Amino acid sequence: MKTRKIVQAAMALTLTTAMFTGCAGTNSSITVISREDGSGTRDAFTELMGILVDDTDNTVASAEISNSTSVVMQSVVGNKNAIGYISLGSLNDEVKAVSVDGVAATAENINDGSYQVARPFNIATKEDISELALDFVDYILSADGQAIIEEEGYISVSDAESYTSAGLTGTIVIAGSTSVAPVMEVLADEYKALNEGVTIEIQQTGSSAGMTSTIEGACDIGMASRDVKDSEIAEGLIPTVIGMDGIAVIVNHENAVENLTSEQIRGIYTGEITDWSEIQ
Amino acid sequence: MHKYKETIMHGVFLLSACISVIAVITICIFLFANGIPAIAEIGVFDFLLGKNWKPLENQFGIFPMIVGSLYVTAGAILIGVPIGLLCAVYMAKFCPQKLYKILKPAIELMAGIPSIVYGFFGLMVIVPMMQNIAGGSGKSMLTASLLLGMMILPTIIGVAESAIRAVPECFYEGSLALGATAERSVFFATLPAAKTGIMAGVILGIGRAIGETMAVVMVCGNQSVMPKGLASGIRTLTANIVLEMGYAADLHRDALIATAVVLFVFILLINTLFSIIKNRSKD
Repeated sequence: MKTRKIVQAAMALTLTTAMFTGCAGTNSSITVISREDGSGTRDAFTELMGILVDDTDNTVASAEISNSTSVVMQSVVGNKNAIGYISLGSLNDEVKAVSVDGVAATAENINDGSYQVARPFNIATKEDISELALDFVDYILSADGQAIIEEEGYISVSDAESYTSAGLTGTIVIAGSTSVAPVMEVLADEYKALNEGVTIEIQQTGSSAGMTSTIEGACDIGMASRDVKDSEIAEGLIPTVIGMDGIAVIVNHENAVENLTSEQIRGIYTGEITDWSEIQ
Repeated sequence: MHKYKETIMHGVFLLSACISVIAVITICIFLFANGIPAIAEIGVFDFLLGKNWKPLENQFGIFPMIVGSLYVTAGAILIGVPIGLLCAVYMAKFCPQKLYKILKPAIELMAGIPSIVYGFFGLMVIVPMMQNIAGGSGKSMLTASLLLGMMILPTIIGVAESAIRAVPECFYEGSLALGATAERSVFFATLPAAKTGIMAGVILGIGRAIGETMAVVMVCGNQSVMPKGLASGIRTLTANIVLEMGYAADLHRDALIATAVVLFVFILLINTLFSIIKNRSKD
């Protein structure tokens, strides 16, 4: 009696395994990887690609959701059928960035407007900002600050004059987007080198958390990798664009696809195209 | 003077005891004060039974996440309990002393590994493995269950082993004296006597599995849709919170706190169950 039960269990297990292997086969069905709702990168990507129509995000429900750039990249590295999107500044050799409408994802192409998938990096401050924080904002927008933004792979937005130190001292607390933070760290280091006696503390909390902290006065400057919302501006935030960031559409190196049109990307992300064989 | 010291130290101990209680109460107040109004605004049924989670369109249905959490936890128990229990039996009854000296610290080490490390292991090792076995992206309910099953092993083994060791040796010896084999004695005399302790271990394991966040979020795919099968991706309650908290604003943020309220209620139920079982074992 007991043996029979064990045999039954073993059979059931084999059957389930067989079921899985059965549906595997040779497949090239696309694994769509997206970011979480509310992510600055996702907001920008869905809007630019026409996936967001009339405030409705049409991203296919079966899309995998990752909450960080590194997990998106790791997933694409490990899956030859995956497609994802990340900030251009984070792109490296582990994955392949495809051209969009025949234009490669490079800083130059974003600068001359031919690569369309780009979004603003914002900082937000309150009216009663400290003199020191204001000086730091001036530095970011100065020729020196913008040069650093370009060096880091982003696109400058201001052509102000170069910066001269005002000799201020004190502490600046900056909080917000994890996408903006890496370039902010570099800016802060350079600023500290120019201004002795200044400490800058950068907290990576995410765009919305950064905006909330700035409203509440917990930090001096908030960072957002998306547009600052009207509800946040109503609370007294003043947004400033400090640079532009491209969004790279990435696939695995084993994937033969080199170029996708915007329609194809939209099709993939809305679930109309589900297999790589549908893409020429 | 001596009495003075006594009173002061009395106060210190009382304060220490109070702080943990105060912490729990503060967390409760924070969760419920922020979560309940959000649930009321969304509507209890729309929130708990709604199948669409589209924060940008003001649709906050967490039913897929509740189901996801329960499925993954059940999967983890199915995988973790048999392995954990057999391991505990082996360690308590059959293991040679030399091997035990390696096995015990290894399991304790397993409990100390941070969950994010388990997550990376899952993403780099189990996910590609699952891609080959089951096809698709490899991030699925099954992958998450496997990983969680592994993560709850130390909890189950630890509690079950001490429960088995707590059973008086006379049970085992009595069974032997009646002519049963050693294995039969362990499985039919000692193990049933340790039943409540083992159950407590399983429930602690459930608590750990349902509350696990960082590891699960990396391997379960996080699609907020009703799971269609073992190989389809799911999103758990914890994953939902950690995924979107950084970027959420307004009602979206409150809805995430409300998700935490639901999770908190689950944990509360599990802990109550745990103390009921623990009390029963004392009687």
